[in-house]
Amino acid sequence: MRVDPAKCVGCGNCVPVCTMGVIRVEAGRAVVNEEECVECGTCKRFLRVEGFPAPLVRAVRAVLHTLHLAHEAPPDVCPAGALFQPELEWPRSVRKAFSDPTTKHASTGIGGRGTEEIKTNDVTGRLRNGDAGLIVEMGRPGLGARLAELDRVARAMAELGARFESKNPVTQMMPDPATGALNPEVLNEKVMSAIIEMKVPVAGLPEFLGRLNEVAAGLTSVCSVAVAGRCDPDGSIPYEEIVVKETGFPLSLTSKTNLGLGRPRFGESGVFPTPPDAMPKAPQAGSAAAIGGDAE
Amino acid sequence: MTNTLHRRGTKENLANDFVIFVSPAAGVNKEGCAPRIKEFLRICLAQGPVNVGNGEEKPVPAAEWPRLIDRCTDSSSATATFDDPGKVAAVLKALVAADLGLSINISGLADAVDGLCRSAGIVRHSIEHSLGIWGARNRLPADPYLEIHTMCGHGMVSHNLIRKMVEMVKMGKMTSAQAAAYLAKPCSCGAFNPTRARLLIEKMLEVG
Repeated sequence: MRVDPAKCVGCGNCVPVCTMGVIRVEAGRAVVNEEECVECGTCKRFLRVEGFPAPLVRAVRAVLHTLHLAHEAPPDVCPAGALFQPELEWPRSVRKAFSDPTTKHASTGIGGRGTEEIKTNDVTGRLRNGDAGLIVEMGRPGLGARLAELDRVARAMAELGARFESKNPVTQMMPDPATGALNPEVLNEKVMSAIIEMKVPVAGLPEFLGRLNEVAAGLTSVCSVAVAGRCDPDGSIPYEEIVVKETGFPLSLTSKTNLGLGRPRFGESGVFPTPPDAMPKAPQAGSAAAIGGDAE
Repeated sequence: MTNTLHRRGTKENLANDFVIFVSPAAGVNKEGCAPRIKEFLRICLAQGPVNVGNGEEKPVPAAEWPRLIDRCTDSSSATATFDDPGKVAAVLKALVAADLGLSINISGLADAVDGLCRSAGIVRHSIEHSLGIWGARNRLPADPYLEIHTMCGHGMVSHNLIRKMVEMVKMGKMTSAQAAAYLAKPCSCGAFNPTRARLLIEKMLEVG
Protein backbone atom coordinates (compact mmCIF):
# COMPACT_ATOMS: atom_id res chain seq x y z
CA MET A 1 0.00 0.00 0.00
CA ARG A 2 1.14 3.49 -0.67
CA VAL A 3 0.04 7.01 0.16
CA ASP A 4 -0.25 9.71 -2.48
CA PRO A 5 1.40 12.70 -0.78
CA ALA A 6 -0.55 15.08 -3.02
CA LYS A 7 -3.81 13.79 -1.54
CA CYS A 8 -2.77 13.10 2.03
CA VAL A 9 -3.85 15.69 4.59
CA GLY A 10 -1.92 14.12 7.45
CA CYS A 11 -5.03 13.42 9.55
CA GLY A 12 -3.48 10.19 10.82
CA ASN A 13 -6.66 8.13 10.64
CA CYS A 14 -4.83 5.40 8.76
CA VAL A 15 -2.21 5.01 11.49
CA PRO A 16 -4.20 2.96 14.04
CA VAL A 17 -6.05 1.04 11.32
CA CYS A 18 -2.84 -0.46 9.95
CA THR A 19 -2.77 -4.10 10.99
CA MET A 20 1.01 -4.12 11.16
CA GLY A 21 1.41 -0.68 12.76
CA VAL A 22 3.69 0.48 9.96
CA ILE A 23 2.03 3.72 8.86
CA ARG A 24 3.34 6.93 10.43
CA VAL A 25 2.84 10.63 9.79
CA GLU A 26 5.97 12.56 8.86
CA ALA A 27 6.03 16.22 7.90
CA GLY A 28 2.26 16.30 7.58
CA ARG A 29 1.95 13.27 5.33
CA ALA A 30 1.31 9.61 6.04
CA VAL A 31 4.08 7.23 5.01
CA VAL A 32 3.92 3.44 4.71
CA ASN A 33 6.95 1.41 5.68
CA GLU A 34 6.70 -0.87 2.67
CA GLU A 35 9.32 -3.28 3.96
CA GLU A 36 6.98 -4.15 6.84
CA CYS A 37 3.61 -3.71 5.06
CA VAL A 38 1.89 -7.04 4.34
CA GLU A 39 -0.47 -5.61 1.68
CA CYS A 40 -3.60 -6.64 3.57
CA GLY A 41 -5.49 -3.62 2.21
CA THR A 42 -7.34 -3.03 5.48
CA CYS A 43 -6.52 0.68 5.57
CA LYS A 44 -7.99 1.29 2.13
CA ARG A 45 -11.11 -0.79 2.79
CA PHE A 46 -11.78 0.61 6.26
CA LEU A 47 -11.40 4.30 5.44
CA ARG A 48 -14.18 6.01 3.54
CA VAL A 49 -13.13 8.58 0.98
CA GLU A 50 -14.88 11.89 1.57
CA GLY A 51 -13.77 13.21 -1.77
CA PHE A 52 -12.72 16.66 -0.62
CA PRO A 53 -9.80 18.33 -2.40
CA ALA A 54 -6.72 17.91 -0.23
CA PRO A 55 -5.66 21.60 -0.44
CA LEU A 56 -9.08 22.66 0.85
CA VAL A 57 -8.94 20.22 3.76
CA ARG A 58 -5.43 21.36 4.66
CA ALA A 59 -6.45 25.02 4.50
CA VAL A 60 -9.49 24.52 6.71
CA ARG A 61 -7.45 22.57 9.20
CA ALA A 62 -4.77 25.28 9.25
CA VAL A 63 -7.39 27.95 9.98
CA LEU A 64 -8.93 25.87 12.75
CA HIS A 65 -5.47 25.26 14.20
CA THR A 66 -4.72 28.99 14.15
CA LEU A 67 -7.96 29.63 16.00
CA HIS A 68 -7.12 26.89 18.52
CA LEU A 69 -10.14 24.96 17.37
CA ALA A 70 -9.95 21.24 16.98
CA HIS A 71 -11.66 19.23 14.29
CA GLU A 72 -11.80 15.53 14.91
CA ALA A 73 -12.96 13.67 11.85
CA PRO A 74 -14.74 10.32 12.22
CA PRO A 75 -12.12 7.59 12.64
CA ASP A 76 -13.06 5.86 9.40
CA VAL A 77 -12.42 8.55 6.81
CA CYS A 78 -9.55 9.38 4.50
CA PRO A 79 -10.63 12.88 3.45
CA ALA A 80 -9.10 12.98 -0.02
CA GLY A 81 -8.55 9.27 -0.75
CA ALA A 82 -4.78 9.24 -0.46
CA LEU A 83 -4.28 5.49 -0.11
CA PHE A 84 -3.73 3.47 -3.25
CA GLN A 85 -2.71 -0.08 -4.07
CA PRO A 86 0.12 -0.27 -6.61
CA GLU A 87 0.51 -3.24 -8.92
CA LEU A 88 2.42 -5.94 -7.05
CA GLU A 89 5.02 -8.04 -8.78
CA TRP A 90 6.40 -11.41 -7.80
CA PRO A 91 7.46 -12.18 -5.13
CA ARG A 92 5.85 -9.23 -3.32
CA SER A 93 2.47 -10.37 -4.66
CA VAL A 94 2.72 -13.23 -2.18
CA ARG A 95 2.11 -10.75 0.62
CA LYS A 96 -1.33 -9.80 -0.63
CA ALA A 97 -2.28 -13.38 -1.47
CA PHE A 98 -1.72 -14.42 2.15
CA SER A 99 -2.81 -11.25 3.91
CA ASP A 100 -5.90 -9.90 2.17
CA PRO A 101 -8.93 -12.15 2.80
CA THR A 102 -10.85 -10.45 0.00
CA THR A 103 -8.30 -11.69 -2.52
CA LYS A 104 -8.86 -15.18 -3.85
CA HIS A 105 -5.75 -17.29 -3.65
CA ALA A 106 -4.91 -18.55 -7.11
CA SER A 107 -4.06 -22.03 -5.90
CA THR A 108 -7.21 -22.64 -3.86
CA GLY A 109 -9.88 -20.23 -5.04
CA ILE A 110 -10.36 -19.32 -1.38
CA GLY A 111 -9.75 -15.92 0.14
CA GLY A 112 -6.50 -15.10 1.92
CA ARG A 113 -4.29 -17.83 3.28
CA GLY A 114 -7.10 -20.32 3.58
CA THR A 115 -7.83 -23.87 2.69
CA GLU A 116 -10.89 -25.99 3.26
CA GLU A 117 -9.14 -28.17 5.89
CA ILE A 118 -11.67 -29.83 8.23
CA LYS A 119 -14.44 -27.49 7.17
CA THR A 120 -15.28 -29.87 4.33
CA ASN A 121 -13.90 -33.04 5.87
CA ASP A 122 -17.32 -34.65 5.77
CA VAL A 123 -17.22 -34.68 1.97
CA THR A 124 -13.48 -34.64 1.22
CA GLY A 125 -12.17 -37.10 3.80
CA ARG A 126 -8.94 -35.17 4.19
CA LEU A 127 -8.63 -36.46 7.71
CA ARG A 128 -9.72 -40.01 8.38
CA ASN A 129 -9.75 -42.17 11.47
CA GLY A 130 -6.24 -42.26 12.90
CA ASP A 131 -5.20 -39.03 11.19
CA ALA A 132 -4.61 -35.77 12.97
CA GLY A 133 -4.47 -32.42 11.28
CA LEU A 134 -1.69 -30.27 12.68
CA ILE A 135 -2.12 -26.66 11.69
CA VAL A 136 0.49 -24.01 12.41
CA GLU A 137 -0.49 -20.50 11.48
CA MET A 138 2.60 -18.36 11.38
CA GLY A 139 2.26 -14.68 12.32
CA ARG A 140 -1.10 -14.96 14.02
CA PRO A 141 -2.34 -13.17 16.00
CA GLY A 142 -1.61 -9.78 14.62
CA LEU A 143 2.18 -9.70 14.32
CA GLY A 144 2.73 -11.09 10.84
CA ALA A 145 5.71 -13.25 9.94
CA ARG A 146 8.49 -13.51 7.41
CA LEU A 147 8.17 -16.62 5.31
CA ALA A 148 11.74 -17.52 6.31
CA GLU A 149 10.37 -18.35 9.76
CA LEU A 150 7.65 -20.47 8.22
CA ASP A 151 10.32 -22.24 6.17
CA ARG A 152 12.21 -23.08 9.36
CA VAL A 153 9.16 -24.58 11.05
CA ALA A 154 8.05 -26.50 7.96
CA ARG A 155 11.49 -28.02 7.49
CA ALA A 156 11.52 -29.20 11.09
CA MET A 157 8.14 -30.83 10.64
CA ALA A 158 9.21 -32.42 7.35
CA GLU A 159 12.17 -34.01 9.09
CA LEU A 160 9.69 -35.89 11.25
CA GLY A 161 7.76 -37.06 8.21
CA ALA A 162 4.84 -34.64 8.18
CA ARG A 163 2.68 -34.80 5.09
CA PHE A 164 1.80 -31.32 3.90
CA GLU A 165 -1.69 -30.77 2.52
CA SER A 166 -1.28 -30.48 -1.24
CA LYS A 167 -4.20 -28.06 -1.65
CA ASN A 168 -2.81 -25.61 0.88
CA PRO A 169 -1.25 -22.45 -0.63
CA VAL A 170 1.84 -22.76 1.55
CA THR A 171 2.49 -26.25 0.22
CA GLN A 172 2.14 -24.82 -3.29
CA MET A 173 5.25 -22.75 -2.57
CA MET A 174 7.33 -25.83 -1.72
CA PRO A 175 9.25 -27.11 -4.77
CA ASP A 176 9.57 -30.45 -2.99
CA PRO A 177 7.03 -30.84 -0.18
CA ALA A 178 9.00 -33.75 1.25
CA THR A 179 11.57 -31.23 2.51
CA GLY A 180 9.22 -28.52 3.74
CA ALA A 181 11.50 -25.91 2.17
CA LEU A 182 9.89 -22.94 0.46
CA ASN A 183 10.87 -21.38 -2.82
CA PRO A 184 13.87 -19.24 -1.80
CA GLU A 185 12.45 -16.28 -3.73
CA VAL A 186 9.68 -15.76 -1.16
CA LEU A 187 11.62 -16.14 2.06
CA ASN A 188 11.97 -12.42 2.79
CA GLU A 189 8.32 -11.69 2.17
CA LYS A 190 6.23 -10.78 5.18
CA VAL A 191 2.62 -11.92 5.44
CA MET A 192 -0.20 -11.36 7.90
CA SER A 193 -0.29 -15.08 8.43
CA ALA A 194 0.26 -18.29 6.53
CA ILE A 195 -0.85 -21.76 7.47
CA ILE A 196 1.32 -24.85 7.48
CA GLU A 197 -1.23 -27.62 7.18
CA MET A 198 -0.06 -31.14 7.89
CA LYS A 199 -1.43 -34.60 8.34
CA VAL A 200 0.25 -36.72 11.00
CA PRO A 201 -0.75 -39.90 12.83
CA VAL A 202 -2.72 -39.18 16.00
CA ALA A 203 -0.21 -41.32 17.85
CA GLY A 204 2.61 -39.15 16.52
CA LEU A 205 1.26 -35.88 17.89
CA PRO A 206 3.50 -35.81 20.99
CA GLU A 207 6.62 -36.02 18.85
CA PHE A 208 5.47 -33.35 16.41
CA LEU A 209 4.23 -30.99 19.11
CA GLY A 210 7.42 -31.44 21.11
CA ARG A 211 9.58 -30.54 18.13
CA LEU A 212 7.31 -27.65 17.22
CA ASN A 213 7.63 -26.32 20.74
CA GLU A 214 11.42 -26.33 20.39
CA VAL A 215 11.38 -24.50 17.06
CA ALA A 216 8.74 -21.99 18.19
CA ALA A 217 10.97 -20.95 21.08
CA GLY A 218 13.36 -19.41 18.55
CA LEU A 219 10.80 -17.46 16.55
CA THR A 220 10.82 -13.69 16.40
CA SER A 221 7.08 -13.78 15.70
CA VAL A 222 4.26 -15.96 16.96
CA CYS A 223 2.20 -18.80 15.62
CA SER A 224 -1.21 -20.13 16.50
CA VAL A 225 -1.29 -23.90 16.67
CA ALA A 226 -4.28 -26.17 16.16
CA VAL A 227 -5.05 -29.84 16.01
CA ALA A 228 -7.96 -31.41 14.14
CA GLY A 229 -9.45 -34.80 13.50
CA ARG A 230 -12.34 -36.96 12.40
CA CYS A 231 -14.54 -37.56 15.44
CA ASP A 232 -15.10 -41.03 16.82
CA PRO A 233 -18.48 -42.65 16.11
CA ASP A 234 -19.97 -41.27 19.30
CA GLY A 235 -18.71 -37.78 18.48
CA SER A 236 -15.81 -37.85 20.93
CA ILE A 237 -12.55 -36.10 20.22
CA PRO A 238 -9.96 -38.48 18.74
CA TYR A 239 -6.87 -36.61 19.89
CA GLU A 240 -8.00 -35.36 23.30
CA GLU A 241 -6.38 -38.01 25.44
CA ILE A 242 -3.06 -38.10 23.65
CA VAL A 243 -2.68 -34.33 23.44
CA VAL A 244 -3.76 -33.49 26.96
CA LYS A 245 -2.27 -36.44 28.81
CA GLU A 246 0.90 -37.03 26.86
CA THR A 247 1.92 -33.53 25.86
CA GLY A 248 0.31 -31.43 28.57
CA PHE A 249 -0.92 -28.87 26.07
CA PRO A 250 -4.48 -27.96 27.01
CA LEU A 251 -7.16 -27.91 24.35
CA SER A 252 -8.92 -24.60 23.86
CA LEU A 253 -12.32 -24.00 25.39
CA THR A 254 -13.66 -23.34 21.93
CA SER A 255 -13.57 -25.56 18.90
CA LYS A 256 -14.53 -25.59 15.30
CA THR A 257 -17.04 -28.35 14.64
CA ASN A 258 -17.93 -29.81 11.27
CA LEU A 259 -21.56 -30.90 11.60
CA GLY A 260 -21.40 -33.54 8.91
CA LEU A 261 -24.20 -32.10 6.82
CA GLY A 262 -22.31 -32.09 3.50
CA ARG A 263 -23.22 -34.30 0.55
CA PRO A 264 -22.12 -36.58 -0.89
CA ARG A 265 -20.58 -37.88 2.30
CA PHE A 266 -17.03 -39.05 1.79
CA GLY A 267 -17.09 -42.82 1.61
CA GLU A 268 -13.99 -44.56 2.87
CA SER A 269 -13.32 -48.10 3.79
CA GLY A 270 -12.80 -48.79 7.44
CA VAL A 271 -14.83 -45.90 8.80
CA PHE A 272 -17.08 -46.51 11.74
CA PRO A 273 -20.75 -46.29 10.91
CA THR A 274 -22.54 -44.35 13.57
CA PRO A 275 -24.43 -46.76 15.81
CA PRO A 276 -28.03 -45.87 16.55
CA ASP A 277 -27.29 -45.52 20.24
CA ALA A 278 -24.84 -42.73 19.50
CA MET A 279 -27.78 -40.57 18.57
CA PRO A 280 -29.36 -39.12 21.67
CA LYS A 281 -32.42 -38.07 19.74
CA ALA A 282 -33.98 -39.63 16.70
CA PRO A 283 -32.83 -37.79 13.58
CA GLN A 284 -35.41 -36.31 11.35
CA ALA A 285 -36.95 -38.45 8.68
CA GLY A 286 -34.89 -38.82 5.57
CA SER A 287 -31.65 -37.64 7.11
CA ALA A 288 -30.54 -40.33 9.54
CA ALA A 289 -27.59 -41.77 7.70
CA ALA A 290 -26.53 -38.41 6.36
CA ILE A 291 -26.45 -36.69 9.70
CA GLY A 292 -25.18 -39.47 11.83
CA GLY A 293 -22.17 -40.96 10.17
CA ASP A 294 -20.44 -42.40 7.20
CA ALA A 295 -22.84 -45.15 6.32
CA GLU A 296 -22.22 -44.53 2.68
CA MET B 1 -8.91 -21.06 6.97
CA THR B 2 -8.90 -21.23 10.71
CA ASN B 3 -10.24 -17.73 11.05
CA THR B 4 -12.86 -18.55 13.66
CA LEU B 5 -10.86 -21.05 15.70
CA HIS B 6 -8.36 -19.11 17.76
CA ARG B 7 -10.74 -16.78 19.60
CA ARG B 8 -9.35 -16.05 23.02
CA GLY B 9 -11.34 -15.46 26.14
CA THR B 10 -12.84 -16.94 29.25
CA LYS B 11 -15.62 -19.48 29.47
CA GLU B 12 -17.87 -16.67 30.65
CA ASN B 13 -17.17 -14.16 27.89
CA LEU B 14 -17.19 -16.83 25.17
CA ALA B 15 -20.55 -18.23 26.28
CA ASN B 16 -22.50 -16.04 23.88
CA ASP B 17 -20.22 -16.18 20.88
CA PHE B 18 -21.00 -18.57 18.04
CA VAL B 19 -19.94 -18.41 14.41
CA ILE B 20 -21.71 -20.61 11.90
CA PHE B 21 -20.53 -20.86 8.32
CA VAL B 22 -21.01 -22.86 5.17
CA SER B 23 -18.12 -24.33 3.19
CA PRO B 24 -18.67 -25.69 -0.30
CA ALA B 25 -16.00 -28.19 -1.32
CA ALA B 26 -14.15 -27.56 -4.57
CA GLY B 27 -14.63 -30.43 -6.97
CA VAL B 28 -17.40 -31.96 -4.86
CA ASN B 29 -20.38 -29.69 -4.37
CA LYS B 30 -19.14 -26.17 -5.04
CA GLU B 31 -20.26 -25.74 -8.62
CA GLY B 32 -23.72 -24.19 -8.75
CA CYS B 33 -23.98 -23.94 -4.96
CA ALA B 34 -24.82 -20.22 -4.79
CA PRO B 35 -28.58 -20.77 -4.25
CA ARG B 36 -27.84 -23.05 -1.29
CA ILE B 37 -25.37 -20.54 0.17
CA LYS B 38 -28.08 -17.90 -0.04
CA GLU B 39 -30.58 -20.22 1.62
CA PHE B 40 -28.09 -20.89 4.40
CA LEU B 41 -27.75 -17.18 5.10
CA ARG B 42 -31.52 -16.62 4.91
CA ILE B 43 -32.01 -19.33 7.53
CA CYS B 44 -29.43 -17.61 9.71
CA LEU B 45 -30.91 -14.19 9.09
CA ALA B 46 -34.32 -15.37 10.29
CA GLN B 47 -32.84 -15.94 13.76
CA GLY B 48 -31.25 -12.54 14.22
CA PRO B 49 -27.48 -12.80 13.89
CA VAL B 50 -25.24 -9.98 15.13
CA ASN B 51 -23.04 -10.13 12.05
CA VAL B 52 -23.22 -11.53 8.54
CA GLY B 53 -20.65 -11.65 5.76
CA ASN B 54 -20.01 -13.28 2.44
CA GLY B 55 -16.24 -12.88 2.52
CA GLU B 56 -16.17 -11.05 -0.77
CA GLU B 57 -17.14 -7.50 0.03
CA LYS B 58 -16.98 -4.90 2.73
CA PRO B 59 -19.23 -5.37 5.75
CA VAL B 60 -22.62 -3.72 5.28
CA PRO B 61 -25.23 -2.50 7.79
CA ALA B 62 -27.79 -5.03 8.96
CA ALA B 63 -30.49 -3.45 6.82
CA GLU B 64 -28.49 -4.38 3.73
CA TRP B 65 -27.87 -8.01 4.67
CA PRO B 66 -30.69 -9.32 2.43
CA ARG B 67 -29.05 -7.66 -0.57
CA LEU B 68 -25.64 -8.96 0.48
CA ILE B 69 -27.15 -12.43 0.48
CA ASP B 70 -28.54 -11.87 -3.01
CA ARG B 71 -25.01 -11.08 -4.22
CA CYS B 72 -23.49 -14.37 -2.98
CA THR B 73 -21.78 -16.54 -5.56
CA ASP B 74 -20.42 -20.07 -5.63
CA SER B 75 -17.20 -18.66 -4.16
CA SER B 76 -18.76 -16.85 -1.21
CA SER B 77 -17.71 -17.86 2.28
CA ALA B 78 -21.00 -17.22 4.01
CA THR B 79 -20.82 -16.62 7.73
CA ALA B 80 -23.23 -15.56 10.46
CA THR B 81 -22.38 -14.74 14.05
CA PHE B 82 -24.74 -15.10 17.00
CA ASP B 83 -24.71 -13.90 20.57
CA ASP B 84 -27.32 -16.33 21.85
CA PRO B 85 -27.08 -20.15 21.91
CA GLY B 86 -30.87 -20.36 21.69
CA LYS B 87 -30.74 -18.74 18.28
CA VAL B 88 -28.02 -21.15 17.18
CA ALA B 89 -30.19 -24.06 18.25
CA ALA B 90 -33.00 -22.72 16.08
CA VAL B 91 -30.65 -22.26 13.13
CA LEU B 92 -29.37 -25.82 13.49
CA LYS B 93 -32.87 -27.21 13.54
CA ALA B 94 -33.75 -25.30 10.39
CA LEU B 95 -30.53 -26.32 8.64
CA VAL B 96 -31.12 -30.00 9.35
CA ALA B 97 -34.61 -29.68 7.93
CA ALA B 98 -33.37 -27.76 4.87
CA ASP B 99 -30.77 -30.44 4.09
CA LEU B 100 -28.70 -28.10 1.93
CA GLY B 101 -26.01 -30.71 1.32
CA LEU B 102 -23.13 -28.32 1.99
CA SER B 103 -20.61 -28.65 4.80
CA ILE B 104 -21.54 -26.49 7.75
CA ASN B 105 -19.33 -25.68 10.73
CA ILE B 106 -19.84 -23.96 14.05
CA SER B 107 -17.17 -22.33 16.15
CA GLY B 108 -17.91 -21.74 19.80
CA LEU B 109 -17.44 -23.29 23.23
CA ALA B 110 -16.82 -26.95 22.41
CA ASP B 111 -19.12 -28.42 25.03
CA ALA B 112 -21.90 -26.00 24.15
CA VAL B 113 -21.65 -26.77 20.43
CA ASP B 114 -21.64 -30.51 21.14
CA GLY B 115 -24.79 -30.08 23.19
CA LEU B 116 -26.45 -28.05 20.47
CA CYS B 117 -25.57 -30.71 17.91
CA ARG B 118 -26.99 -33.53 20.00
CA SER B 119 -30.16 -31.59 20.60
CA ALA B 120 -30.52 -31.30 16.84
CA GLY B 121 -29.88 -35.02 16.36
CA ILE B 122 -26.39 -34.54 14.99
CA VAL B 123 -23.23 -36.35 15.99
CA ARG B 124 -20.38 -34.03 15.11
CA HIS B 125 -18.27 -35.26 12.21
CA SER B 126 -14.90 -33.53 12.67
CA ILE B 127 -13.43 -31.14 15.17
CA GLU B 128 -10.53 -28.77 15.58
CA HIS B 129 -9.07 -27.20 18.72
CA SER B 130 -6.59 -24.44 19.27
CA LEU B 131 -3.45 -25.23 21.23
CA GLY B 132 -2.83 -21.55 21.79
CA ILE B 133 -0.19 -19.06 20.77
CA TRP B 134 3.43 -20.17 20.58
CA GLY B 135 6.62 -18.23 19.97
CA ALA B 136 7.38 -14.61 20.85
CA ARG B 137 4.34 -14.05 23.03
CA ASN B 138 6.07 -11.16 24.77
CA ARG B 139 5.40 -9.07 21.64
CA LEU B 140 1.65 -9.40 21.99
CA PRO B 141 -0.70 -6.94 23.65
CA ALA B 142 -2.53 -7.79 26.87
CA ASP B 143 -5.27 -10.42 26.88
CA PRO B 144 -8.26 -8.03 26.81
CA TYR B 145 -6.99 -6.62 23.50
CA LEU B 146 -6.30 -10.09 22.12
CA GLU B 147 -9.82 -11.18 23.04
CA ILE B 148 -11.19 -8.51 20.72
CA HIS B 149 -8.49 -8.85 18.06
CA THR B 150 -8.92 -12.61 17.65
CA MET B 151 -12.60 -12.27 16.78
CA CYS B 152 -11.35 -11.44 13.29
CA GLY B 153 -9.18 -14.45 12.58
CA HIS B 154 -7.76 -12.81 9.48
CA GLY B 155 -6.20 -10.20 11.77
CA MET B 156 -7.91 -7.23 10.18
CA VAL B 157 -8.79 -5.54 13.49
CA SER B 158 -5.49 -4.03 14.51
CA HIS B 159 -4.30 -3.85 18.09
CA ASN B 160 -3.87 -0.09 17.68
CA LEU B 161 -7.42 0.42 16.43
CA ILE B 162 -8.72 -1.39 19.50
CA ARG B 163 -6.61 0.85 21.73
CA LYS B 164 -7.93 3.95 19.94
CA MET B 165 -11.55 2.87 20.23
CA VAL B 166 -11.19 2.06 23.92
CA GLU B 167 -9.56 5.43 24.44
CA MET B 168 -12.36 7.25 22.63
CA VAL B 169 -14.99 5.55 24.77
CA LYS B 170 -12.99 6.41 27.85
CA MET B 171 -12.91 10.08 26.79
CA GLY B 172 -16.65 10.06 26.17
CA LYS B 173 -16.29 10.64 22.43
CA MET B 174 -18.31 7.58 21.50
CA THR B 175 -20.29 4.84 23.17
CA SER B 176 -19.04 1.32 23.64
CA ALA B 177 -21.60 0.15 21.07
CA GLN B 178 -20.30 2.67 18.50
CA ALA B 179 -16.73 1.58 19.20
CA ALA B 180 -17.71 -2.06 18.74
CA ALA B 181 -19.39 -1.21 15.44
CA TYR B 182 -16.21 0.49 14.20
CA LEU B 183 -14.15 -2.52 15.26
CA ALA B 184 -16.42 -4.86 13.31
CA LYS B 185 -15.90 -2.87 10.15
CA PRO B 186 -12.50 -4.25 9.00
CA CYS B 187 -13.72 -7.86 9.25
CA SER B 188 -15.12 -8.82 5.86
CA CYS B 189 -16.10 -12.36 6.86
CA GLY B 190 -18.80 -11.42 9.33
CA ALA B 191 -17.15 -13.46 12.10
CA PHE B 192 -16.58 -10.50 14.41
CA ASN B 193 -19.08 -10.38 17.27
CA PRO B 194 -19.88 -6.72 18.05
CA THR B 195 -21.98 -7.63 21.09
CA ARG B 196 -19.05 -9.40 22.67
CA ALA B 197 -16.70 -6.57 21.66
CA ARG B 198 -18.97 -4.05 23.39
CA LEU B 199 -19.03 -6.10 26.57
CA LEU B 200 -15.25 -6.58 26.49
CA ILE B 201 -14.70 -2.85 26.06
CA GLU B 202 -17.03 -2.12 28.97
CA LYS B 203 -15.18 -4.68 31.06
CA MET B 204 -11.84 -3.08 30.18
CA LEU B 205 -13.10 0.34 31.23
CA GLU B 206 -14.59 -1.07 34.40
CA VAL B 207 -11.28 -2.66 35.35
CA GLY B 208 -9.46 0.51 34.38
